Amino acid sequence: MKLMKKLFSVLFALLLCTIAFIPSFAESDLSRIADYADLLTESEESTLLSKLDEISIRQEADIVVVTTYSLDGKTPMEYADDFYDYNGYGFGENRDGVLLLISMEDSDWWISTCGYGITAVTDAGIEYISDKFLSDLSDGEYAKAFSTYAELCDEFFTQAKTGKPYDVGNMPKEPFKFVSRIAGSLVFGFAVALFVTGSMKRRLQSVRFQSYANSYVKENSMNVTESRDLFLYSQVTRHEKPKQTSGSDTHTSSSGSTHGGGGGKF
Amino acid sequence: MAVLQEYKCPCCGGAIAFDSAIQKMKCPYCDTEFEMETLKNYDSELKNDLKEDMRWESAAGADWREGEAEGLRSYVCKSCGGEIVGDENTAAASCPFCGNPVVMMGQFSGALKPDYVIPFKLDKKAAKEALIKHYSGKRLLPKVFKDENHIDEVKGIYVPFWIFDADAEANIRYKATRVRAWSDSTYNYTETSFFSVFRGGNIAFEHVPVDGSEKMPDDLMESIEPFDFSEAVDFQTAYLAGYFADKYDVDAEQSIIRANERIKTSTANAFANTVQGYASVTPETTGIRLINGQTKYALYPVWLLNTTWNGKKYTFAMNGQTGKLAGDLPLDKSAYKKWLFGLTGIASAVAFAACYLFWLL
Repeated sequence: MKLMKKLFSVLFALLLCTIAFIPSFAESDLSRIADYADLLTESEESTLLSKLDEISIRQEADIVVVTTYSLDGKTPMEYADDFYDYNGYGFGENRDGVLLLISMEDSDWWISTCGYGITAVTDAGIEYISDKFLSDLSDGEYAKAFSTYAELCDEFFTQAKTGKPYDVGNMPKEPFKFVSRIAGSLVFGFAVALFVTGSMKRRLQSVRFQSYANSYVKENSMNVTESRDLFLYSQVTRHEKPKQTSGSDTHTSSSGSTHGGGGGKF
Repeated sequence: MAVLQEYKCPCCGGAIAFDSAIQKMKCPYCDTEFEMETLKNYDSELKNDLKEDMRWESAAGADWREGEAEGLRSYVCKSCGGEIVGDENTAAASCPFCGNPVVMMGQFSGALKPDYVIPFKLDKKAAKEALIKHYSGKRLLPKVFKDENHIDEVKGIYVPFWIFDADAEANIRYKATRVRAWSDSTYNYTETSFFSVFRGGNIAFEHVPVDGSEKMPDDLMESIEPFDFSEAVDFQTAYLAGYFADKYDVDAEQSIIRANERIKTSTANAFANTVQGYASVTPETTGIRLINGQTKYALYPVWLLNTTWNGKKYTFAMNGQTGKLAGDLPLDKSAYKKWLFGLTGIASAVAFAACYLFWLL
């Protein structure tokens, strides 16, 4: 009897655990792709969805892609934040996750981060990730762009879990670009060689007109009798400092939750 | 009237010449040295003596065709009777037959008499050495040029120069800017202040030389400047003995243009240098007035070295006073390519290695 009780309590605990976890998978009402603008084919959509699901579950953070024709008069930031909040995306209490919004209306893109997503994908991170998928986006290679986005989010979350999220001064290492570096080095080398041989060539030429007569100035004959320095006016120009702040700037969305994010045009 | 002047040693009758090492006249035969002052007196003595029988032979023979003899003058050597042919500007030379130095007195008479002469200080040997030094350290000079180098001719020439003095009066207005930069937490600020700067004053130039000989390339002559006028002495034909000399064939009016050009540039430069403490200075209005002083005519010592290579003539000139040598040298094209590509390779490799190291870190 005692054994049975123990077994039950264990089973009960297991059941509780399962109950506690199931909602977190089922929290979002929508799938992780909301392709309202119909940019993806069926097969692309299913491939991408399985990828997003796999990453989201593994990283315990929703990686979401939303495409739309119209922002309904909202800014991309508001639209992305609201879409995230009202559709109940996000893992856990802090609703961890990242959402990429593509609006065809004015070619806007926006990445909204929430919960642990804010920590993992910083402002600098958004810039880095967008840098990698923007060209595909502009070319209409939407599936490729979204897949890049998903993979990079995966990478960023993995890095964040080591305690050192990718941020200013700690960005993912680019692979060494052999071809462009070799080309660049050759151009640089040629310029240096031209400069050096040019000066060697110039040493062969010693016949030239003298433009000055400086050697014939009578000693101490120079007399400055009038010397006026008149201030006329001044102009002040100011330039915003390049933002190199680490971490994420956050704001509060209409539903009252805190989001980070960034975006632009493609 | 053109007269040929030879300097004969009063001791042995040999032809004597100016020796740049001792700055005196020296007889190469009996080693007797003469002060220039002595020669000066001797000079005038000779003039009195020889006036009658020194004649300029106008045309040498009737078989010159018309125009052919134009620009040429021939003289009869007093020592051997040989005929010396020079152009109309030749003022000192040596007899091609007996080698005796001769001076054509007529080229220095009246208005043609130079006011000053800077005597040669460096000799032929120094000129040759300077040329060898000129070749060294030039990697793109064809090796054959250096190795096969036969100097065709080394000539010590007194080149006629016009010497100009000028007082320059300058009134120059500049537009100048000063830049100040600072920043706060969000902005970088740049303040550009504009100033109107005025400088007025004067500066004097003296003894600015301009080559008065058509034969001498002006750029070559300017390249071996400066000449130190403080070493110039009153002209005496005796200094020319043993050297070549030309009289001027570009007149002073033509030459002063060039001198004033340089004086103006130098004046503008000197005054611009007094505008200090600005980030940029641009002259707005430049007014430079020159008051030229007396023009002088002087002979300056120049060693000319000629060499021919691959059918092309290369001329070098050395300042006979300071030893400064100038002359363009040929370019070894294959060596140039080797250096260009070799250096490209090395510099590229270094740059690439640096890129890679930077990436690794």
